[in-house]
Amino acid sequence: MAVARPNGADHALLYVPGRSFLHRLNPLTKLALVLWCAVAAFALPPQGTIPLALLAIAVGIFAGAGKVFARRLIFTLTPLALALFVVHGMLVDHEGARAAVLGLDLSHDGLAYMVRILGRIAALLSGSLLFVCTTHPARLLKALDSHNFPPGMAYVIASPLLLLEPFTQRARAIREAQMARGLDLQGSFLTRARAFPALLMPLVTLALADIDHRAQVLDGRGFRAMPHRTVLDAPADSGAQRAARWIIVLSIPVLIAGGILWH
Amino acid sequence: MKLDTKSLVLMAVAIVINVVVGQIAVWIKLPLYVDAVGTVLVGILAGPFAGALTGVLTNLIWGLISDPVAAAFFPVSLVIGALAGILARMGWFKSVGMTIAAGAVIGVISTIVAVPIIVYMFGGVTGAGTDFATAYLLAVGQELVQSVAIANLVQNLADKILTCLIAWLIVKRLPMRFTSGFAFYGYSKA
Amino acid sequence: MALIDVDHLSFAYDATPVLRDVSMSVEAGEKLAILGGNGSGKSTLAQWIAGWLPRGTFAASEGGVTVEGRPWAELDAATRAGSVQFVGQVPMQQLSGFAFTVLDEIAFGPGNLQLPEPEIRVRVAAAVETCNLGHLLERDPFSLSGGEQQRQSIAAALAMQPRALVLDEPTGNFDPESRDALLAQMEKLPAELAIVWCDVTLGAAMAVASRFVLLDEGRIAYDGDAAGLLAHPRTAQIFGLPAVAEAALLWRAAGVWPEGVPISADPARVAAVLRPMLEEVA
Repeated sequence: MAVARPNGADHALLYVPGRSFLHRLNPLTKLALVLWCAVAAFALPPQGTIPLALLAIAVGIFAGAGKVFARRLIFTLTPLALALFVVHGMLVDHEGARAAVLGLDLSHDGLAYMVRILGRIAALLSGSLLFVCTTHPARLLKALDSHNFPPGMAYVIASPLLLLEPFTQRARAIREAQMARGLDLQGSFLTRARAFPALLMPLVTLALADIDHRAQVLDGRGFRAMPHRTVLDAPADSGAQRAARWIIVLSIPVLIAGGILWH
Repeated sequence: MKLDTKSLVLMAVAIVINVVVGQIAVWIKLPLYVDAVGTVLVGILAGPFAGALTGVLTNLIWGLISDPVAAAFFPVSLVIGALAGILARMGWFKSVGMTIAAGAVIGVISTIVAVPIIVYMFGGVTGAGTDFATAYLLAVGQELVQSVAIANLVQNLADKILTCLIAWLIVKRLPMRFTSGFAFYGYSKA
Repeated sequence: MALIDVDHLSFAYDATPVLRDVSMSVEAGEKLAILGGNGSGKSTLAQWIAGWLPRGTFAASEGGVTVEGRPWAELDAATRAGSVQFVGQVPMQQLSGFAFTVLDEIAFGPGNLQLPEPEIRVRVAAAVETCNLGHLLERDPFSLSGGEQQRQSIAAALAMQPRALVLDEPTGNFDPESRDALLAQMEKLPAELAIVWCDVTLGAAMAVASRFVLLDEGRIAYDGDAAGLLAHPRTAQIFGLPAVAEAALLWRAAGVWPEGVPISADPARVAAVLRPMLEEVA
């Protein structure tokens, strides 16, 4: 994957518990909003995307997720901003005026392009963060489940989220065990490269070993015996939200047209 | 296209393998991501459709737990899984030599898919190490798209070849009782 | 008609036969233990009884298993789920991987059958009550201890309202305290539920079952009550005399062992005392 990731990330969810209005919205409504946001991020010029991002950030802070927003936005935007500044501000041969600032030869168009990209990413990121921080995956899956989303797909989303923590712990245990046996993780490139199979093979073998049994457990409990499932405590939905979702989705072409005109 | 329960469980486990092996690569400070081992595995064992789906869902889950913007690269993961399945079908995972070739093909094509995303969505940068290479290539006079492509290609080639080799090693070691449950694997048996 | 009937079952995964001409039946409401050492075939037999086999590839298979006269293959998924449920040895492997809370885990099966919501709640409440999980309902199933996970899996199985429950070494690797907690749970299971408890040790099984099947290298060596099991020569050979003595201790605690007869630590002495006593009682 070609976008910077935080090192040694712990895989806790980005979800921040809370009781805000956003938390209580049906996840599908929020998904519609994310979609709208994503289109807006591409359709609108910076004069639109940046206020949109700021609005999303404000709502995020209000919903109690300020810390997560700050961390993710800084981690993602800072290296991008730097790289964009160098690549477009300085290097790429943009047409148009150039300016000399602090001894650097900068392109006006390049900087404008940088702002445009940053605005777009900021809007995209804040919009998705609003969804992810206020929606626990369990609720998203129940919302999908109760709207006849294929149970097989729901399983392939839910199961990894649940298995990630136990398997990461096992990976850590394997690492401790191997290090106790003398495996060196600090040495030269070749030493470290040799450590790779010793760490991952036991884990992968373990992970694959119980597939057969797990599949049997699922089948034994009637998994996919019926095309849909009964869901307990599905997230509340309402006519108003359903209508809102339609309006949001149908407004997207308008959004695109408006964006084109705005440019 | 209905997948059987065992394939679904395989996909779920493969997604976990994607993330955790990528995490191990960070632990040993490998300069490669190696976060598609599971995707390739599914392609070999269950075919291109399952492989592609595994890739897409990995990105989706990654977006939920870590970095929503990284989820935008789902077409790349889709292509990796699909290609692994298609090449497996053609028997490219029967020997170590062909596996390396498969890794090269996947590396090249996944870069081709990634470059438009990097250029048009991110302005040509990734926020990661390859940006230095991109900058260097621009400075010596290359165009933006070519710079991005070349800069990312080298890393991607190494990454995908290593990924395919690891997946091949894993599959070779699986007991027959396991692999006989995945008919698609028949195309990769030597 | 028996609830489950195993009819001249022979089975081999590869070149080595695992089950050889096994015939037995399970009656409704019966509490049965299938005992055997490692490699005796009891896990395989357990899976056949639960309808988990045949599946995948294998070398040979003869005979089969019927549920109330009908072969497994004839039953649809919902009927299968309501006939026999299976709980395996590794606690984490029994989790569905679909549910984020214990409550949802137990409701998973009934939900799959598209039962109406009120009925699901009734079933779940009953299972939670039986397995004493009320204080764990909001927990992540993967965060529970092994013992709690097994109780949860039994609850999930009960929520399907099966006619029979098959358990394969459910307390393997448990410490004595967790094992006793699970055995205490077993006592609260419905009387009309048939239980098939498979194990490599004698003690736990004797607390659960009243009928014992001894499996030895894929064949049934004994099928009868506890007295006969303890007296059978293969039992002492497979499990060792100390285990037989320990089982006799449990039997004594249950009030069946005659008073005044000491339980010695010396296996030979125990054996010498044991056999005539059992013959007398039987």
